Amino acid sequence: MIEDILSIKTLAEEDVKKADDLGTIQSIRIKYLGKKGILTDRIKSLSSIPKAERAEYGCVINETKDYIERIITQREEEFKTSELGTLLKARHIDVTVPGNFVPCGHNHPTSNVLEEIIDVFVSLGFRVEDGPEVELDYYNFEALNIPKDHPARDMQDTFYITDDIVLRTHTSPVQVRVMERDKPPIRVIAPGKVYRCDTDVSHTPMFHQIEGFMVDEHISMGDLKGVLEMFIHAVFGANTKVRFRPSFFPFTEPSAEIDIGCLICKGRGCKVCKNSGWVEILGAGMINPRVFEMVGYNPESYTGFAFGMGIERITMLKYGIDDIRLFFENDKRFLEQF
Amino acid sequence: MRASINWLKEFVDFSLTHREIANTLTMAGLEVEGLEEIEGDTILEVSVTPNRADCLSIKGIAREISSILSLPLKDVAVTPLNEEGEPPSINIKTPQLCRRYASRIIRGVKVGSSPQWISKRLESHGMRLINNIVDITNYVLLETGQPLHAFDLNKLAGGCIIVNTAQSVNKLLTLDGEERALNSDMLLIWDKEKPVAIAGVMGGLTTEVTSSSVDILLESAFFNPISVRRTSKTLNLITESSYRFERGVDIEGIVYALNRAAQLILETAGGKASKLIDKYPKPFTPKQIHLKLSKVNKIIGINISSSEVQDILGRLGFKNKKKDEEEIIVTPPSFRQDIIRDVDIIEEIARLYGYDKIPPTFPVVRLQPVGKNIRRGIIATIRDSMRRSGYSEVINYSFLNPAVFDKLRLPSDDKRRDMIKIRNPLRKEEASLRTTLIPSLIDNVSFNIKRGEKSVRFFEVSRVFSHSGQKLPEESMRLAGAYLNMPLSLWQGKHEGFYDLKGAIESLFLELRIGDYSFTTGDICEQYLHPGKSCTIKIGSHNIGSLGVLHPAVSQAFDITGDITVFELDLERVLSYIPADIIYKQLPKYPYVERDISIVVTEDIKVSDVNSAILSVSSDIIESVVLFDIYTGHPIPKGKKSLAFAIRYRAKNRTLTDSEVDAMHSKILNVLENSFKAELRS
Ligand SMILES: [Zn+2]
Repeated sequence: MIEDILSIKTLAEEDVKKADDLGTIQSIRIKYLGKKGILTDRIKSLSSIPKAERAEYGCVINETKDYIERIITQREEEFKTSELGTLLKARHIDVTVPGNFVPCGHNHPTSNVLEEIIDVFVSLGFRVEDGPEVELDYYNFEALNIPKDHPARDMQDTFYITDDIVLRTHTSPVQVRVMERDKPPIRVIAPGKVYRCDTDVSHTPMFHQIEGFMVDEHISMGDLKGVLEMFIHAVFGANTKVRFRPSFFPFTEPSAEIDIGCLICKGRGCKVCKNSGWVEILGAGMINPRVFEMVGYNPESYTGFAFGMGIERITMLKYGIDDIRLFFENDKRFLEQF
Repeated sequence: MRASINWLKEFVDFSLTHREIANTLTMAGLEVEGLEEIEGDTILEVSVTPNRADCLSIKGIAREISSILSLPLKDVAVTPLNEEGEPPSINIKTPQLCRRYASRIIRGVKVGSSPQWISKRLESHGMRLINNIVDITNYVLLETGQPLHAFDLNKLAGGCIIVNTAQSVNKLLTLDGEERALNSDMLLIWDKEKPVAIAGVMGGLTTEVTSSSVDILLESAFFNPISVRRTSKTLNLITESSYRFERGVDIEGIVYALNRAAQLILETAGGKASKLIDKYPKPFTPKQIHLKLSKVNKIIGINISSSEVQDILGRLGFKNKKKDEEEIIVTPPSFRQDIIRDVDIIEEIARLYGYDKIPPTFPVVRLQPVGKNIRRGIIATIRDSMRRSGYSEVINYSFLNPAVFDKLRLPSDDKRRDMIKIRNPLRKEEASLRTTLIPSLIDNVSFNIKRGEKSVRFFEVSRVFSHSGQKLPEESMRLAGAYLNMPLSLWQGKHEGFYDLKGAIESLFLELRIGDYSFTTGDICEQYLHPGKSCTIKIGSHNIGSLGVLHPAVSQAFDITGDITVFELDLERVLSYIPADIIYKQLPKYPYVERDISIVVTEDIKVSDVNSAILSVSSDIIESVVLFDIYTGHPIPKGKKSLAFAIRYRAKNRTLTDSEVDAMHSKILNVLENSFKAELRS
């Protein structure tokens, strides 16, 4: 009797071993464990076994049933796994095809640098102001202590609309407009387009400037140095060399020009720095009391500094661009580098 | 200003190398822009700022070196001349335009070429050689900064000089052979009968010193800077002389320069000098400036003592007297006409103290809110949005060629043709200011096509300029964009420029939270756009811009093959429609039901019309209508298209029942059948 069960077990083992797909293994389950299965049949006949032998015989049948169930399930799982594998293999994509993306556009390099500079000064509490690009001669010159018939007018070649209206030659008129409107303390930067009647390899008739100025009761030239050195280090790196040298602007006194150590040749001398190792990037100074008088400030009560810089020039130094005309050609291959 | 090192050393004995002296001058405000080695000498190319007229001479630069390095300044002494005979008669009719006029006659000179030491120096300083007399006036000009003029005495009627304006005389033949048109208020030098020179600018041809001259009259004068500048500007004639007069010469140095020239002439050309005449009706009175030590330290940000200040002032040749511990009374010398008030002296102190020695500090200020520039912030958002949509920023000149409007087919009365004109443009193509950004963007695309680019997405944010009726023009912001695509990747679907740009604009409006916009046809759109592929962009009922494919005739005029789509928006208007605040709307409490509807209509039916017709059926329970398919081709009959919309239904206060939705859906179908002769697609 028990031998009979053990032989069923052996047969089932052989069947399972021979099975080669999920269908076969499922029919093997029916053959042995189904409603009319071989082993099920033996379980049904258990009642006809003499009582004394029934317990042991029942035990063997149950163990065998569990065993067959286990080897069938195990084989079944193996088949399921490999079938899914085949299925997944059949449905693959080419991951190397380019994605559906909208390529991001690019900021103009001048805008990049302009925004970077604005951020530095906004972080120091400077407010951003605008002014007109077509400006009264009064704001562009007279109020900045550049009277008509003064040789200082030769410093900037001017586009005229009429005798009294010009394309602003610098962003400095914003100084006057803001000071006419507001009382100190003032901290302002004014970015924008400016125009000079001048064109050659290193000049374009339009370019961008940022003007900055600060007026309070005790602003010194040392403060001007501190703020501009900080600015230069923020934009060009902490190791950039800076030097201040005397210069002349009618609206500042004392006046200074600020050079940085040439970034191209690291001070050894090259074409960009005309072999001097230095490149001028800023004009600055203490606001001339004459300007304060023009806007109705008492020059004995207030002092202030002002500075101005050409953005294209700074952008050229920062990115190593060697031709200012590239900024206005708008060549896609140029623009896409920024 | 060119300056020979050897010549400088005649006035100041310095031992620095050429590079060192260049650096020293640069760091004191006289920027040396170049060094040129010439035979046995080095020439410094010094950039002299307009305030430093005193440095437009060898002696001036030498004086500067002596101040910076604290070295003695040597003077070339003029030995007393053997005077013989009376000086000429000088009559200044306009003392406000000529504050001083000194002169001597030198009789019996031998005009010829200059000795080599003079001619070499003149040539290395960029002066043309004329003859020994004229060359000496130029030599003294370079040496002292004082322009001189020599007349042929025998060609001067009456042998005398009258200084007066041109009045009714309207032309004069100058030394360069040009006939100059004169204004009545230009200052001239006259003899008894006729004008003989344009004062301070250039001499006349008739009285020039030539090889046959024997007696000469030397002029050394101070002419009013503004008058000389106006004359020089009007005549468009800048000379070594006018350049110095308009910046201001040393009124106290006039006789010295005259005598120096007379001495050199006697030495090299012979002759006898007459007595001196020096017309100087109102002699120079030095200014006295009160300088407060505390102000010096406050403005520069240093802590300098009054004795250090006095040392610097002394080196500069500024007379100074200590009034008390706090105040010094300073008298600047006559050659420093730029020193007017205390800050001018403070600059001199800072300059000689050394800008590099001023310690950098941070200002101590009261904390105050910065105040945001909201407009700038929005414009930054707009630029970012365009960039994220794939558009790159371009920057163009503000100039425009008026001829471009014909290429754009703008009507002759279009307001944009009325541009602000520049009086002195560099080129006639750049003679006016932009009233639209479109032509610049078309040029940008065309430029890139010529360089082989096949796909371009550009935008520009910039001001345009128009007449305002006020003194200054109106400046308003525009956003414009251009799209060119010659597709590279057909497998990713065809990119239509129109829809690409439209999408960018819609995305921009979404970012700015502007909801009430539309793209409409029917209005008169731009003449430069394709009539069938263009539209007006509106917010509410206001036109704010246009979008469309360029008209083929315009593309042709710009020499472009291929479709370019462009748009332009009036940002001032857009800015005015941006809602100030975000107001939260409650989330819906009840679920939605979504049904699709697919209809067949004739091809001319516009999606937006169908869309709004559906929405108008019920504002209560139709929440949204989204187009999800447009199809033409089999089995749709020719001339027709199929449109498919997903309609979302939702009520605010209850869950909708199927029968409610069914009823609404068939009502919509009815409306579409009636309005558009739509058929349900089976
Ligand atoms: Zn360099």
